[in-house]
Amino acid sequence: MPEKAKEEKAYRVLESHSFLQRAMFRYMLEGHAASEEGKLAWVTSGFPVEIPVAMDVGVSYPEQYGAIVGSEKAGPKLCDYAEELGYSQELCSYARASIGSVKHPEESPLEGLPAPQALLACNNICGTVLRWYDAISQMTGAPVFLLDTPPLEGEQLPHHIAYVRHGLDNLVSFLSKQFDTTLEEDKFREVTDLSTETIGIWTQCLEACKSKPSPLNCADRFLAMAPVVAIRGRDYTLEYYQTLLNEVKDRVANGLGAIRDEKVRLLWDNIPPWFRVFRIMGALAKKGVVFPADTYTHAWTGSIKDEDRMDSIASMYSNVYLNKGLEAKVDKMCDLIKGYDLDGFVMFSVRSCKRYSLGQLVSKELVSERTGVPGVVIEGDMVDSRLQNDAQIETRLDALLEMLL
Amino acid sequence: MSNAQATEQSERILKQLVDKGKPILGYVYPHTPLEIIMAHGVMPTLLYANPTVMGSYEASLQTFACSFIRNMFSQRVNDQLPYVDGIVFPGNTCDSLQNLADIWHLRYPQDKIFRLTYPAGDQGEAAVQYFAEELRIFSNSLEDAYGSPFSDAAFRQAVDLVQQFRDAVQFLYAARLLQPNSVRYHRIAAFVREFHSAPLETLVDELRATVNDVENSLAEADRVDSTKALQHALLERRLEDVSLPSDLPTPRIAIVGGMTEPLAIAELANVISKVSSTAVVFDLLSFGFKTIFTPMPAFEGDLFETMARSVLGALLEPTQEGLPKRLDFLKDALTHLAIDGLIVCEQSFCDPDEFESPSLLAVASEVGVRTVRLPIDSEFSDRARLEGRIQSFLETVAHGGAE
Ligand code: SF4
Ligand code: SF4
Repeated sequence: MPEKAKEEKAYRVLESHSFLQRAMFRYMLEGHAASEEGKLAWVTSGFPVEIPVAMDVGVSYPEQYGAIVGSEKAGPKLCDYAEELGYSQELCSYARASIGSVKHPEESPLEGLPAPQALLACNNICGTVLRWYDAISQMTGAPVFLLDTPPLEGEQLPHHIAYVRHGLDNLVSFLSKQFDTTLEEDKFREVTDLSTETIGIWTQCLEACKSKPSPLNCADRFLAMAPVVAIRGRDYTLEYYQTLLNEVKDRVANGLGAIRDEKVRLLWDNIPPWFRVFRIMGALAKKGVVFPADTYTHAWTGSIKDEDRMDSIASMYSNVYLNKGLEAKVDKMCDLIKGYDLDGFVMFSVRSCKRYSLGQLVSKELVSERTGVPGVVIEGDMVDSRLQNDAQIETRLDALLEMLL
Repeated sequence: MSNAQATEQSERILKQLVDKGKPILGYVYPHTPLEIIMAHGVMPTLLYANPTVMGSYEASLQTFACSFIRNMFSQRVNDQLPYVDGIVFPGNTCDSLQNLADIWHLRYPQDKIFRLTYPAGDQGEAAVQYFAEELRIFSNSLEDAYGSPFSDAAFRQAVDLVQQFRDAVQFLYAARLLQPNSVRYHRIAAFVREFHSAPLETLVDELRATVNDVENSLAEADRVDSTKALQHALLERRLEDVSLPSDLPTPRIAIVGGMTEPLAIAELANVISKVSSTAVVFDLLSFGFKTIFTPMPAFEGDLFETMARSVLGALLEPTQEGLPKRLDFLKDALTHLAIDGLIVCEQSFCDPDEFESPSLLAVASEVGVRTVRLPIDSEFSDRARLEGRIQSFLETVAHGGAE
């Protein structure tokens, strides 16, 4: 592309993007190889993936695949296949897209995910994942393992840790039996160390966005988060985040923002509409709007500590953002708004994700009250574009920007 | 008794209790341990969707919240909740209820809101231990809120009452399966509804009298023992040895679905009764079979552990692990109870119902049982269309039976 045309874009493309593509390509090949060897598990995004990885079980992430389906605009078609099987249009569109792609892999992006030999669900993000994986199990015959992490209200009490810890021990037995493998202490330490380090560097990338101008916009983070969700605990993942962090630091040192003319800094709440996110962000970037923080990519934080690593996993994975109450979500949003010096916030109400979305009308009021900044709720979906009204979204965003620009 | 009459009657009873100074705690989840609430001198009452309440939830809930929670919240906004002095919400069941409790608490901080969190994992003893501790915490929070400590004697009395109720209704369930003209499904559903609204001794007395009448009618055909055996088999969920009389009237319809209220559905199914009062012989509803066939607490060791074992011993919900077990039981029920038509109820925007129903339909079709899927909202606002669907389903089943 001629240099001039590149310069005119409101958006700065990350150089480290090519490393991201390579990492994700490798992850995909590994998934196929594992499936062929009969050693692949599908995993929910909040699952303690360090354990299967340390036990040499390959992993694939249907939620991330849902994001690909969304970006490729294949959502309506695949969701429709799930609906033909009797799954209501009101259900999570990640679930519907994956059910549709299992039914018709030949019509799915990348020909669907490689076939699983086990389905590992952790309900720390929602209760839906169990039912979704049950449905996939009915279709593929792969057994479901549920790691139950009941939602927390306040502190995690000892009986809660003991219960989750028991679930983790069961997980090790399940994987041992299913894949004829063992959990070796050395490998476990290596993988958990890599995972913790990766999350640490990712967190530094996120926090760098406190700078003005923000070195990353949320669309950058939505892409860059893929490895920390899917392949933390691998050396090449760590390498990618080190490259990203260097680039981010470079941008900060040189006063370069993710967008060329930063005027308004906003918070994004919830999963994005994958089929439209770059268009929305691009249009807003032209108006000088950047999103230095969002609740979605900040959900992958925490560290596996040195004492008893299994206890540490039991605690870290029970304390994830979506496993806590609305009050904790409001606190987190207020902290991000203050910490990143944001002027307002956009809450994307995802019709098919009840866990993330129900409650946003109340939190919007509370966040505004507590921070003094305005917010707007827009409604749509992450994968199924049939559930979204773009014109209405535009009108609402314009109304917010009128207050801020 | 119609659904509306049942609501009126329960409100009357609750008012009398409130006037006597009894605190009333509302609950929404079928497996709420009534015995623990009653052990604190508090009266548990099941909260229902109220068809007369118009949407007033919009400032707090999006339209894609399930119809049940929209209705519940609207009742609160309109100040139409019947006499409750607190609500216990389940945790870790469905995402909608999980979030509703938080929303409620933030919108109405003055309301007494309790959270009782259930294990979703089918993890045997570990789940029992976890849930026992949650029950203990729940009990402590009841004591804090109402100032009345857990009473061992009241607990035992409550266990006894609940058990008498369950035992009697279980018998009626079995009788309906063996000799459908001995008791109407609507009658069973009304008892269940009344007990869930206010678990009172007087109702159990009335129930006992009905059981006597039914026993007499069964005795004429020498079916009392086989009814008891079937009750036991249902409780054990071992149906392979069940043998049914050969002269059973057809069609035999079963109803399955999540939080659908049996009386509401029984009323809807009245359209069937007009054709054949013996048609609906069984349900696998959460407020029906699943709560009624909960095993009795065993009174060994720690009381909370005892209760946890009992609650988790029920046939689990779609919100919990164990779909293959539930499907196996459905298959057994359809086969061994000679069911020839299955109505699958599905609340609108209810993830658990909507995820499970394709699997339920598949099992029925595997064993050659005809099905109809009934998408409903809590207010049954689409009653005429639903009745029409049931009616034509019944015709299809009857026709299938004649082929
Ligand atoms: S319901 Fe929401 S949190 Fe759960 S899998 Fe779907 S998108 Fe994720
Ligand atoms: S109807 Fe379904 S979604 Fe609604 S509260 Fe009940 S189980 Fe949850």
